[in-house]
Amino acid sequence: MLSISIKKTWNGFRLDTAFEVPHGVITALFGPSGAGKSTILRIISGLEAADAGIITYGKDIWYDRTQRICLSPQQRSVGLVFQDFALFPHMTVKKNVAYGIKEKKRLNEINELLSLVGLSDYAHHYPAQLSGGQKQRVALIRALAMRPDLLLLDEPLSALDWETRRQLQEDLRRIVKQFQVTTLYVTHDITEVYKLADFVVIMDSGKVVKRGTPEEVFLGKRLSTRIQIVGKVVGVERNPIMVAVTVMHGDQYFKTLIDTEELDRLNLKIGDDVVIGAKSSDVILFKVLTQS
Amino acid sequence: MNFTTPLFLSLKLSFITTVLLSFIGIPLAYWLAFSRVRWKFFVESIVALPLVLPPTVLGFYLLIAIGSNSIIGQWYEALCNKTLAFSFQGLVLGSFFYSLPFAIQPFQTSFAGVDKKLLEASWSLGRSRVYTFFSVILPLSRQGIITGCVLSFAHTLGEFGVVLMIGGNIPGITRVASIAIYDEVQSLNYRSANAYSAILLSFSFIILIIVYFINRKFTRTL
Repeated sequence: MLSISIKKTWNGFRLDTAFEVPHGVITALFGPSGAGKSTILRIISGLEAADAGIITYGKDIWYDRTQRICLSPQQRSVGLVFQDFALFPHMTVKKNVAYGIKEKKRLNEINELLSLVGLSDYAHHYPAQLSGGQKQRVALIRALAMRPDLLLLDEPLSALDWETRRQLQEDLRRIVKQFQVTTLYVTHDITEVYKLADFVVIMDSGKVVKRGTPEEVFLGKRLSTRIQIVGKVVGVERNPIMVAVTVMHGDQYFKTLIDTEELDRLNLKIGDDVVIGAKSSDVILFKVLTQS
Repeated sequence: MNFTTPLFLSLKLSFITTVLLSFIGIPLAYWLAFSRVRWKFFVESIVALPLVLPPTVLGFYLLIAIGSNSIIGQWYEALCNKTLAFSFQGLVLGSFFYSLPFAIQPFQTSFAGVDKKLLEASWSLGRSRVYTFFSVILPLSRQGIITGCVLSFAHTLGEFGVVLMIGGNIPGITRVASIAIYDEVQSLNYRSANAYSAILLSFSFIILIIVYFINRKFTRTL
């Protein structure tokens, strides 16, 4: 388990946060841009120093201001995946993946890793010859090839189009689960939290405002529905008795009916994030709560 | 005196200066590109001085610094049993300082231009700063390294003032091609001066063509 409790102030922004990342599961760090999510990732990985606090992984102390301990990024065993991939442009896919592997005998694992993400035929290609989705797959297995204790992903899918993003979400979850690596995933996309994360920590203005499972945190209750679709309200048409709500999920639209009382209770507006849940017979709509 | 001796001396001086500049210039440029010390601008100013200083001024102070009365000069004499001023070794030292900015600035610009994310990716993959330098920074700075080396070679080939101040005009030892031209004109040997000049002109032109061609090629591939 990763446990962090850190403080940092810069340019008038104050980061003061403490949370834990459970072992072997995916935890999402969710919040609007400028909430300090990426800085937390940089501090955990050792690329930036905090002003005060403690970071521990299991029994290992990675950072402790009072004991003057601050391990370098090289000493922390953290796999980092960036939004813009950060692949080495002068190296082939194979050499990129091999970069963090220090034992020669483990180099034969590269082919397995490449086939895991369906890129066996691209071993000798250069990053410039790959699509965005392929680049991010390479970045993911490059980070996992060094068998890190902790995997940190900084909005890894936000530079990709919706369809690629959807495919990669599934791959990501499958691969991370296979490696059983403790993962912290920074995102500002609710759909991603729902699809990928076992736990979510919501941040706003440098502080943790909520944490729990995605359902507990976003809906305030556990759902027992068969399907759940996360989307954004793009239309609200009010009739005398019922209200038709149009919800966009990726490039698809859903229309569902709720009664006017329900609309007023939820205070539903265009632009709100919602979850459409369906039991075997009826469709239910929930408003996503991002504020505490 | 043999016509080719000054030309050979010029090429030898340029070659040795360029090799020295690469070995000392690359670590210095790395420090300038990545160090966060406050007084970095002070070192940068010193490195850039030869760009604006008259070569005679640089030559004069270097002559004082390495002359027989100086600590460096005396130390060198005790060690090698000959003077550093008015020797080929003295010329190498002078050329080194004179061409320093022509090597350092392209090196530094290309090192600083490498995407910081790539360095961070390398560190997080458990690789040291030295490993990162040789595997990521250096290969991605090829263009700047080649430009810096070629420019310092060409610049050393064409220097005159510093060479004259430190090395004088000793045939076979410090009489490089640019000095030979001046000498031939003084003795009204225009034919010989023309031959040296034409060779230096063509050489410099070819070197610049190579630099711009390489730059164009790299810009296209990236």
